[in-house]
Amino acid sequence: MNRLSKLAVNSEGFIFDPTTGDSYTVNPTGLFIINSLRDGKEIDQIAEELSKEFEDTPEEISKDISEFVSHLYTYNLY
Amino acid sequence: MAKKYEKPVILKVQTGMMNKFGSSPYYTRKVRTEIDGVAINELVEKFGSPLFVFSETALRQKYRAYYNSFSTRYPNVAFGWSYKTNYLPAVCSILHQEGAIAEVVSEMEYDKARSIGIPGDKIIFNGPYKNLSALEKAVKEGAMINIDHFDEIYDLEKVADKLKKKIKVGMRVNMDTGIYPQWSRFGLNLDSGQAMDAVKRMVSKGKLVLNGLHCHIGTFILEPNAYAVEIEKMIKFGYEVEEKFKMKIEYYDIGGGFPSKSKLKGTYQEPDVMIPSVDEYAESISTSLFRNLRGGDLPKLYLETGRAIVDEAGYLITSIIASKRLPDGRKSYIADAGVNLLYTSFWYKYNIEIDRQVDGTNEPAIINGPLCMNIDVIEEGRLLPPMEKGTRLILSPVGAYNVTQWMQFIEFRPNVVLIGTNKEVDIIREAEDLSDITRREKLPERLKLNLNSP
Amino acid sequence: MNELKIAVSGINAVDNPGPGVGIARALKEDPDLNVKIIGLAYDAMEPGIYMDWVVDKTFILSYPSSGKDALLERLAYIKKSYGLDYIIPNLDSELPLYTKYTKEIEALGVEVFVPTENQYKLRAKDKLVQVAEKINIDIPKTAVVNSPDELIKAVDKIGLPVMVKGAYYKAERAYTTQEAISHFHKISAEWGFPIILQEVVKGEELNVVGVGDGEGNMIGKLGIKKMWITSLGKIWTGVTIKNELMLNAADNFVKEYKWKGPFELECIVDKNKIYLIEINPRFPAWSYFATGCGINLPANMVKKSFGLPFEENQDYEAGKLYVRYTYETITDMKTFQNVITKGEN
Repeated sequence: MNRLSKLAVNSEGFIFDPTTGDSYTVNPTGLFIINSLRDGKEIDQIAEELSKEFEDTPEEISKDISEFVSHLYTYNLY
Repeated sequence: MAKKYEKPVILKVQTGMMNKFGSSPYYTRKVRTEIDGVAINELVEKFGSPLFVFSETALRQKYRAYYNSFSTRYPNVAFGWSYKTNYLPAVCSILHQEGAIAEVVSEMEYDKARSIGIPGDKIIFNGPYKNLSALEKAVKEGAMINIDHFDEIYDLEKVADKLKKKIKVGMRVNMDTGIYPQWSRFGLNLDSGQAMDAVKRMVSKGKLVLNGLHCHIGTFILEPNAYAVEIEKMIKFGYEVEEKFKMKIEYYDIGGGFPSKSKLKGTYQEPDVMIPSVDEYAESISTSLFRNLRGGDLPKLYLETGRAIVDEAGYLITSIIASKRLPDGRKSYIADAGVNLLYTSFWYKYNIEIDRQVDGTNEPAIINGPLCMNIDVIEEGRLLPPMEKGTRLILSPVGAYNVTQWMQFIEFRPNVVLIGTNKEVDIIREAEDLSDITRREKLPERLKLNLNSP
Repeated sequence: MNELKIAVSGINAVDNPGPGVGIARALKEDPDLNVKIIGLAYDAMEPGIYMDWVVDKTFILSYPSSGKDALLERLAYIKKSYGLDYIIPNLDSELPLYTKYTKEIEALGVEVFVPTENQYKLRAKDKLVQVAEKINIDIPKTAVVNSPDELIKAVDKIGLPVMVKGAYYKAERAYTTQEAISHFHKISAEWGFPIILQEVVKGEELNVVGVGDGEGNMIGKLGIKKMWITSLGKIWTGVTIKNELMLNAADNFVKEYKWKGPFELECIVDKNKIYLIEINPRFPAWSYFATGCGINLPANMVKKSFGLPFEENQDYEAGKLYVRYTYETITDMKTFQNVITKGEN
């Protein structure tokens, strides 16, 4: 969480980690999740808000989010 | 207006891989909703997944392209359909209807060709293992037999004695054509004089009459000129034999080895760039024929094309049954078809098409098959969009060798269907069930389980 | 003169530099041409992307390995969104595409000036013997081999040490037969067959860059000697020379094969003998050297393509020096971000 708050995130989905110098790209849903995590929201809440913000969200949205979070984890961002 | 949902993806920007089109929607995200006008969905609903699909149209077109390219350049040409590439009766029959004779490399294939209705004299019988009874049958039925080794000469002489007649035979030769690896395990070597020794032996016994020469220089040959070298050497040898022993070489069978538009692993360029056209091969071959043949001499030219004709006519539809994130960050998809059905995946990287438009960023992914084995990987690394369970992938070209080399290991082999020229879809090989496997198995009485007994 | 939008690839001006930046600079400096330079890059870190005084606009392309359709589609997009009149492909991996699909590219309304498919095949090292003979230049003793057996026989004839080369890429020196066999296996595993064995000739490396007009005439050429090379073998300091044997061979090459487009002959000179070592079917990375000497090869090639006047096969002075140097540019992340997220800047 602490790592997430330090990231420089732009609106096009470009992320720069000033601690390591690494850059990342995320798609709009990924960007939404990262911003929500930075606001301290929980997965269930993010899932709910995500399905309001985007069309055609699938049932397994929580699985998608948790997989995304585990990907953040493999990058040492979460 | 809300934005459309895509699966969330994050990608690290990595040194040496900072190419947006690494993750382009373009070249890795090809959508295919139908094959020859029949919807993928419909095919899977009716015939299940995985599913091999063959296109009759593609098969006929490819054969005609090859036939026309060669027959317009050399007047006396015929094609032998290479059974080992794909011996489903429907596929063979289509090619026989088009005019191909059969080229077989074992007694099983020989019998299969006969069972489809091909007469013996329309069969080219090749291969290193033809047992005595197979040889006798083939001789009686008038097949073109291409001798592979000295022991076969002895066997055929025995057959000649038994049938009390002289037998016309062809002989397979091998040689250096600049192609590596040189296929020297089949046939008799031209360069070392071994082939000439074999002819001398036949002549001295007087039981076999050499009337044809056969050669097959390798597989996936990307250099048309290799065939020109092959032909030059064969014809030189042929004339030498004709002059020394007063024989007539009636046919030159130059084998196959022509590539399909498949991407051989380890090659950098796409098949579009790598693979020469049919015409380039035909031009090189016919030019060499006319350069080396004497005026007025037009022996029969046989080609044994397999892969080049059938590979691109075959597709495999497979379904994504699960996905997971590997510890190294890559996405892993599990599909219901694996190396059990796709033997050629060890050498080739298939074209992967998706049955629907998938939004979202491409990311590095691997595709695993259903086998509970670490080697069951049909795609080791490709950029794919985030796909849901149930998404179908269409892999191609898979028409060559897979439905002959596939294996029955922990799974059944699926339906194989053919889409006809009028979009009719027929099963040409039924999916297996447990009875196919147990039918040949025997359980001794004393081993039968009786779990009710104490 | 109307503005021309010309794309160049190989703007990776790094320690093993591509030719693109030098070519872009040559085009910009020509007094007759009015060009906008489009840099075609494969990676967001190619320095040319950040050199906005040379490169006006950048597009990322998908790698050449993604094939014809990906290339054509991208070029059509560039043509439509920014404008594109001409492309100079500068990388070995791109040339198979551009030589095979010249017509398709021209059908987009984009000019290219590259060798034909058959000319392009001449660069294969197993063809060098016949090329050398035809253009009247020596070649080190060479054998084309396909197996370790053939290699052993060839080593007997050529002697040691020997160069072991792939048909298109890679060259290793071997001091023993064992070592040659090990290079044979390594190179063939990576680059395929055949493998070429070549006598090691001693001497200094001389090069000539030229452009053929496709009708047998030389658009222009420049001969040089590399005076100092980096640890990667890339020129750092060089000098123009006039070696008649080499320059005549270059003229013959263009005349005999009606060579179309840029090329480089790599040669080694040993007293009175000059050996052809390699043909590159594209501009070398040091092509700006010619421009600096008054022979603007890229600009003249463009003029030839559009039927504009230029002076053919101009003379130059021997003894001009080429000095490469390093330089830094500082920029914020915006360009990088654009290239990463949008694929253009």
